Amino acid sequence: MQQHTTVIDKAAMALSGGLMLLGVVVLGIVEILAGQPYGAAPLTNDAGEVIATPMVDPTLRTGLVLAGLLVLALYGAYRLVAPTKDEAATAQQEITAD
Amino acid sequence: MSYQAANPLADEFELELGGAWTAYWLAFLRVVTGWWFFHAGVTKLIEDGLAYTYGPAYLRQMTGTALGPIPVLMGEHLGWLIQALVPLGETLIGLGLMVGALVRLASVFGVFFMALFWIGNAEFGHGLVNSDLMGLLLFMTMIVLATGRYYGLDAIIEKTKLVKRHPKLRYLLG
Repeated sequence: MQQHTTVIDKAAMALSGGLMLLGVVVLGIVEILAGQPYGAAPLTNDAGEVIATPMVDPTLRTGLVLAGLLVLALYGAYRLVAPTKDEAATAQQEITAD
Repeated sequence: MSYQAANPLADEFELELGGAWTAYWLAFLRVVTGWWFFHAGVTKLIEDGLAYTYGPAYLRQMTGTALGPIPVLMGEHLGWLIQALVPLGETLIGLGLMVGALVRLASVFGVFFMALFWIGNAEFGHGLVNSDLMGLLLFMTMIVLATGRYYGLDAIIEKTKLVKRHPKLRYLLG
């Protein structure tokens, strides 16, 4: 079965995927290249003192992922209110010619 | 082993959403994800009933996150509701997934819970991709692949007259 994607489908996929991959992967690569800590949490010594902090604020990175999820949530809400293909076809049939 | 030399993927393990192995695996994944949340919720209900006081306390400590003041405000002003909704929500989400009913709706709430846990636990020592994010992605997978249709009650519910009259309900079922 072939599924048709609209511009809105493609935009939702591109924007949500782009935001989430930017937050997780792209900025993750930046974090590794910037040296320790390679994760997204401060590095501490045995005494518990912070000896290195992440270059990219994890708040920004998690925020990008949340923004991506928000795009998908909005898309889901749109699909819920937008007419389905069947509804659109029915509406079209109801139009009478002069 | 493939029986078609031209298409190495076209064997019994082909990833086709109507395929037997895909149905088996998606149903299995759904039930395990459901059990994970059901267990978390029902044990809270057994121990604390609808007064899970750690819920609002957990939200109140979520300062300086990407969610801004939202969790702190929730913890401060909706404490009574959160004490009840955390155990009840986890239990119902888990139950929904296990029996395969209203899977997409339940999974939306699952994503909401996991987003809070992912941000709130902030266990990012080994990067952003941790078990909390994986849990969140599992719920997203339930929504995208409509796993309730595989050996789940949603497969039956979607055939009812009510759903046929209101096909958009499939966005909450499935």
